[in-house]
Amino acid sequence: MSVTQQTLAVGRGLAAPRTWRKAWFGGLHGADYVWAIAFALPYAAIFLAFVVYPIAFGLWMGSDLALYEQLFTDPRYLTTVLNTLLYVVIGVNVKMFLAFLLSGFFIRKGWWIKGLMVIFILPWATPALPAYMSIHWFLNGQWGMLNNILYALFEFDGPTYLNEHWTGLASNIGAYIWKTLPFWTVILLAGRMAVPTELYEAAAVDGATGLRRFAHVTLPLMANLYLVCTLLDMVFALGDFNSTYFVSGGGPAMSTEVLATLGIRYAFTLALPRLGVAAVMSALPVLIPLVIILMRRLRPSEGQL
Amino acid sequence: MVKISRRSVLGGAIGAAAASTLARPYIANAQAKTAVYWAGQGFIPQEDAAMRKVCEDYMKESGNKLDYSLMPFMALNQKTISALTSGDVPDLIFMDAPETILPQNAWDDKVVDVTDVVAPFESQLSETAKLNSTFYNKATKKRSYYICPIKQGATPFHIWGDLVEKAGLKMEEIPKDWDGIWTYLKKTQAPLRSKGMRKIFACGLQITTVGPNDGNNLFRHFLIANGGEDILTTDGKLHTDDPKVREAAIKSVEFMTNLYKEGVVPPEALSWNDADDNNGYHEKLFVMDFDGTLSTELAMIKDQQAFYHDMKTLAPANKNDGTPMKAMVNAGGGFIPKGAKNVEVAKDFMKYFMQAKVMNENLKAGLGRWFPAIPQIVKDDPFWTSTEMPCLLPYITEGVLGPTLPLYNAYSPAWGQLEAEQLWGQANADVIKGNMKVADAVDKAFKRGNEIFARITI
Amino acid sequence: MSATTTVRRIRSPLFYSLQRLGVEALCLALGFVLVVWSLTPIYNMWKIALDSHAGIFGGSIWPEAPTLESFRVVVTQDFWYLERFWHQFGNSFIVGLSVTGLTLAIGSLASFTVGRMRLRNGWMLTNAALMTYVIPASFLAIPIYRIMQIYGLGNHLSSLILTLTTFATPYAIFIFSQYGKSIPMELDESARIDGANPLQIYIRIYLPLMAPALVAVGTYALLLAWNEYLYNFLLLSTPQSMTVAVALAQFLNSDESPWNYMMATAIIYAVPPIILYYGFRRYMAAGLTMGGVKG
Repeated sequence: MSVTQQTLAVGRGLAAPRTWRKAWFGGLHGADYVWAIAFALPYAAIFLAFVVYPIAFGLWMGSDLALYEQLFTDPRYLTTVLNTLLYVVIGVNVKMFLAFLLSGFFIRKGWWIKGLMVIFILPWATPALPAYMSIHWFLNGQWGMLNNILYALFEFDGPTYLNEHWTGLASNIGAYIWKTLPFWTVILLAGRMAVPTELYEAAAVDGATGLRRFAHVTLPLMANLYLVCTLLDMVFALGDFNSTYFVSGGGPAMSTEVLATLGIRYAFTLALPRLGVAAVMSALPVLIPLVIILMRRLRPSEGQL
Repeated sequence: MVKISRRSVLGGAIGAAAASTLARPYIANAQAKTAVYWAGQGFIPQEDAAMRKVCEDYMKESGNKLDYSLMPFMALNQKTISALTSGDVPDLIFMDAPETILPQNAWDDKVVDVTDVVAPFESQLSETAKLNSTFYNKATKKRSYYICPIKQGATPFHIWGDLVEKAGLKMEEIPKDWDGIWTYLKKTQAPLRSKGMRKIFACGLQITTVGPNDGNNLFRHFLIANGGEDILTTDGKLHTDDPKVREAAIKSVEFMTNLYKEGVVPPEALSWNDADDNNGYHEKLFVMDFDGTLSTELAMIKDQQAFYHDMKTLAPANKNDGTPMKAMVNAGGGFIPKGAKNVEVAKDFMKYFMQAKVMNENLKAGLGRWFPAIPQIVKDDPFWTSTEMPCLLPYITEGVLGPTLPLYNAYSPAWGQLEAEQLWGQANADVIKGNMKVADAVDKAFKRGNEIFARITI
Repeated sequence: MSATTTVRRIRSPLFYSLQRLGVEALCLALGFVLVVWSLTPIYNMWKIALDSHAGIFGGSIWPEAPTLESFRVVVTQDFWYLERFWHQFGNSFIVGLSVTGLTLAIGSLASFTVGRMRLRNGWMLTNAALMTYVIPASFLAIPIYRIMQIYGLGNHLSSLILTLTTFATPYAIFIFSQYGKSIPMELDESARIDGANPLQIYIRIYLPLMAPALVAVGTYALLLAWNEYLYNFLLLSTPQSMTVAVALAQFLNSDESPWNYMMATAIIYAVPPIILYYGFRRYMAAGLTMGGVKG
């Protein structure tokens, strides 16, 4: 990676100390080593107790191959996988693209932009359950506010959104975007703000403004962050339970179910917890590559810089 | 600088780590006579108070201790399933509607046989209470009691009498037969709309595919009314090849989808959850609803006009062929998971609870939302047949005095899975949305039903 | 390049002011869309809370007879689901603050030892954190429930606190190790020459300089704990141990629910995180800037 990127990594506030890689002078010895271990212990402990053990337990629960046979013969399973893919691919990419554009908008100066940010962040700070319930009612075909507004404005009766597979799925995705767009916008905004002004000044000296500046300065510097955020959110979206569960309830006829809700449904509605774990485990072939790519991308780069 | 020794920090870190995992080591109940007891919260506060009273009374009388907690039924279901899966279980669990959880777990031999508790009361229990409490166990290869039945519930019609009158029709003129009730009541829509109720619908028909329960319950009653009650029998086999059953299913889907297509059902009904119909009914968005227990009425008990005058409760009297309609009745009660540490106290408490007097007091205090599993109680105590609460007598007539059927769940654990997949709702949706022929939609549901049943053979 | 600059120079000042006006108008339009988009579901919540029960289904766009009655009911715990509202609110605070505290402590210690002290094989810790970070939390729901029973923490606030800390800490380690790079290693070196031990360096040098990142991550952890629903619901179930998130889910328990009370509860519940967020907004941006940008 380039030097500019390293600068970027560090931000503009403090000069990059070139020595950090060397670790503490003389390395760790005796007492220091014990301290280092002691500091690492709490995390190691919760990791073993609440990550390794549950994963092992989950693997054991979902290890019976007969479960997968039962799973794959369920006609709803295929729909669920398809929904999950759409949810993850469309939901995340549309949102990240919007977040990227909006981060460019919010970096503008002006009091009302700041005020707008205050409002814009609200969905993220609102508790998920009532927010999604509110969206559920908002979309209700007969007495939901959306159709009431449509009627008041255009004398037009809107469709019953949660009655159809596609509109139902779109509603879930829309709700997920609504809830998480502010968070990612803030992250990308932070990324933009970290681009040193000197770079823009230098670009301006070269005559690069507007689109050119965007293409040659902003985009290359943001690309990595954008990619990492996208991958991360894909993983989050893969596990998202709330939006589907509360907005469409998986309906109509379980046609908008995603893996996370299907797993919970198997486990707690059908009283088949092992099948529930198996449903979730069947996402591993997609999840593991994502995890590996992400771990490479996110690793606090040893000698990569 | 403050001197902090390395040892103390190291100790602290290890301590913190250890504390995070071992903060509360599990100690088995020190007192041998304490039983851990989980029960479901009611839908009205009176039910909770009644449950607490039973526990307190029992503790006073027996000297044993119940470590009881009441929780919302969804949480109770989830905790119960997790507990049964993991084996770390309470001593006793009480559910109003254990039918979604117990068949599968009894099948897997995860619940304690309570025949010895039920036996002394067996002669007094209603047929449906007995059938709903027995399940097949794959390990012992026989059916036996796994629930100590206390309460039962049926499904009546809930009708806004004032809206029927306003539409120029009469409650007394509602026909006796199943289809007739719907056909008569759907005539309320046009007059009411012409009187300015622009958005009102006649029928709160929950042909939902979301559920989880209402849509299935509705379909079962349609099936019974059309003569298809033998779809599943005590042998645990799905009789979809019985022409009577198939014909009944086709008639049911046809009737329901026609109602929907005629526009007398809110279009949203296709994706209602189990609370949506109640909410809509309470707000008078439709004239009638067909929903389990009296919770619909009792939720409005504070509204005197509605509770005592406007809301009418109606039991479906006849099937479509004119013979008496059979009401489908469930059974709720206590069950003991395998691995319970104090089965003695749990059984002792259930014996106490199953006594007619205790059972009656508890259910009366719950305002009769559930009726007793011992039908004689209803005949002896005038509370149950008085007309003081107008909703009660029709409900008791339907669930206790008239002919009844148990839930199909008791016959095979596969039935619960079939319903959880919303096969009937799907069939309705196939006809309404997919323009499938009714017979094809029914056959499609039957085919999938048989696939599910093929996995479990008794 | 010179071509464009020449072209630009020819344009009149009027063109620029018009262009600026146009951009401003576009921004305003976009701002309007954003306000509507963000506020509509929240407005719907308010409308339901301010309305009588009938209001949800009334088909109106404004509350027909707005009343604060449902807020009174919540605040005075005048409804049976809300009998212990303030107790549960307290539980939510305990969970939120504990998760925040533990996340900050565990995360900063771990990133200090890996990033500053360069603990041998420290990469294993970082990788472990990253792995946790990228596993969807809901996927572990069933095993974690089971494991909490094994640890004897069932239905105890600490089970929820530990679970949420587990899911919040990786992000903390990630942000801290990125941010930590901006703190010159020379500071540690000189402290060590002065005879400070690692704990003293951690407390006196590392933590104060990490303040913006700590605030940012703290806010994140608190919001995560505050808004989480699935584990709240699964791990806590008695009125005594419930948090408000579970109490809200109670409204889904019955056939009939006063949604106006539920929404009023939700609105009151949403106040602390919003205050917190706005209070720390400045630090947040700073903390995330440093950590966020480097992938």
